[in-house]
Amino acid sequence: MPHSPSSGPTGHLLPAGERLNRMADAPSSISSRKGLSSAQAPGSPVRDVGGPVTRLLSSVRDGRGFDIVLVAFPLGFLFLMAGLPLLYNVLMSFQEVDMFSLGTLMRPFVGLKNYRDLFAQPETLPILANTAIFVVGSIAGQFLIGFGLALFFWVNFPGAAWLRGLFLVSWVMPGLVVGAIWNWILSGDFGVLNFILREGGIISANIFWRSDPNYSLYAVILANIWLGTAFNMILLSVGLAGIPADLYEAAELDGANAWQRFWTITLPMMRSTIGAIIALGLIFTLQQFDLFAAITSGGPNNSSNVTQYWAWEQSFRQYDFAKGATISVLMIVFVMIASVVYVRSTRHEVRG
Amino acid sequence: MTETNRNRLMLLIAIVMAAIYLFPLYWMYITALKSGSEMFATPPTFWPSVPQWSTYAFVWESRGMGRYLWNSLVIASGAVVLITVLGVGCAYVLARYRNVWVDIGLFLILMLQVLPASLMITPIFVGFSQLGMLDYPRLAVIIAIAAKSMPFFVVLVRATFMAVPMELEEAALVDGNSRVGAFFHIVLPLARNGILVSAILIFMQAFGEFVYSKSIIQDIELQPASVGLNSFMGPNTNEWNNIMAYATIYVTPILAIFVLLQRRIVSGLTSGAIK
Repeated sequence: MPHSPSSGPTGHLLPAGERLNRMADAPSSISSRKGLSSAQAPGSPVRDVGGPVTRLLSSVRDGRGFDIVLVAFPLGFLFLMAGLPLLYNVLMSFQEVDMFSLGTLMRPFVGLKNYRDLFAQPETLPILANTAIFVVGSIAGQFLIGFGLALFFWVNFPGAAWLRGLFLVSWVMPGLVVGAIWNWILSGDFGVLNFILREGGIISANIFWRSDPNYSLYAVILANIWLGTAFNMILLSVGLAGIPADLYEAAELDGANAWQRFWTITLPMMRSTIGAIIALGLIFTLQQFDLFAAITSGGPNNSSNVTQYWAWEQSFRQYDFAKGATISVLMIVFVMIASVVYVRSTRHEVRG
Repeated sequence: MTETNRNRLMLLIAIVMAAIYLFPLYWMYITALKSGSEMFATPPTFWPSVPQWSTYAFVWESRGMGRYLWNSLVIASGAVVLITVLGVGCAYVLARYRNVWVDIGLFLILMLQVLPASLMITPIFVGFSQLGMLDYPRLAVIIAIAAKSMPFFVVLVRATFMAVPMELEEAALVDGNSRVGAFFHIVLPLARNGILVSAILIFMQAFGEFVYSKSIIQDIELQPASVGLNSFMGPNTNEWNNIMAYATIYVTPILAIFVLLQRRIVSGLTSGAIK
């Protein structure tokens, strides 16, 4: 999940469970919550009359204060450790930051210079294009294979659930281990993938996946598809399980064949699930870092570099923190748009 | 075709597909057992002719894996404890009420969990260096991971709390329990399994974490196994059997936990939607 989902399971993180839960029990949970607010009266505020301190303590022990304490610490922590860095990132993208000014907050402001410099660099556009290819290629692969597997395992047979779960090992493995394994599989002279492709008559000469600029990005995409397929499959399985069986029975009585049933029932019923999974795939794919570090390091000559790796490289290889921050700000804006789409598609489901 | 025959055929196809999918994992285990010359043989052997079990001991000793894994363990445990202590209460409150504030809180939490770590590390690193946190690099990484993974944990645990019948808590309140008492004696025990599974997921993630550790921890004595694996893989390495042995030692405990708890983890992940 690790990986990320991510990163697997590293850097991987999904609100999907929650969404599915809501899907399952939205009506009942809403009604029970309404029941609660009235029943909660006896436990609510001021029961004894004391000084302000006593009242505060008793509220923390036995009233609204309890909820506020529970929620204030984590939200405060998240604000300090995720919200502030986010703002700090924006601030740095307008400043000149070098190793000497690292320790101070008030560095010289340079306006939009960092952004202008960024787009004046020759490698910027190719890297953005790589990111787009990486995202589209990974999501398409993960989704199509995942959907195929989910449809297959949807046919219930003994052992289906267990075998399906086994696929998730790719997701719990550390991203760097996945990267190391694929690095070896994709090796040019001795890689087993080249051997299999040669034996299968698909290629005649070895492909140098990691060092040929024409293939290096696809090497990482291949590994990322492997990493994310299982996760897509599990979530799609959940969506499939939610389609009422009587729809299919009715269609079968009407004489619809399997192909027609897929296009007229399965796909339309899965629309919001699919939307959410693709948005989630976008979010995960943009978090993928470990595979780049383990397989190509963005090379050769940036041919497999993507923005999330590039931003890190600028900060921690070139020590140009301002540039790293600038790239991050641009990408974070993009990720946030994706996540708004995702959250909206889950909201829609709850209300609808 | 009869029902049983159909089931057998489906099972067979499923096993073949699982085998193809899990081939990279198999290749890791097999390569680790091959000798230095056998792993470069063409055509490659799909079963080691003479399994080299001593590779494991050699890699463990020469790479100092005990120290790396200990650091991974410290970081992952620290992150899990911090996340659990902070996240459980938050998830409980977000599950218990349904109003506009809860919606806003949830929205913010969902937004925070999508921020890529490799983009957030720049401001976190600079900020931590200004605060002097880089003198305690493992603690700094624990805090950074906690901020990154807590939203995920909250979302999962919230789903668990929503499955706990509110009537039980109400009954405890009517019986004279305080909110604190009802929370610790009624609600928490009922949600224990869900919390445990979510904590294990977080642990597995944190155990493999790379970006933060790589950027923040410079001292090799304090680096976790993911960073160790990264420095083991130089650009022109040819020690693939040793690297795969390292990977095997690193990943097998995680895989063991996963296979043992597979059902729970998968259903925790999908919040009971797959029966």
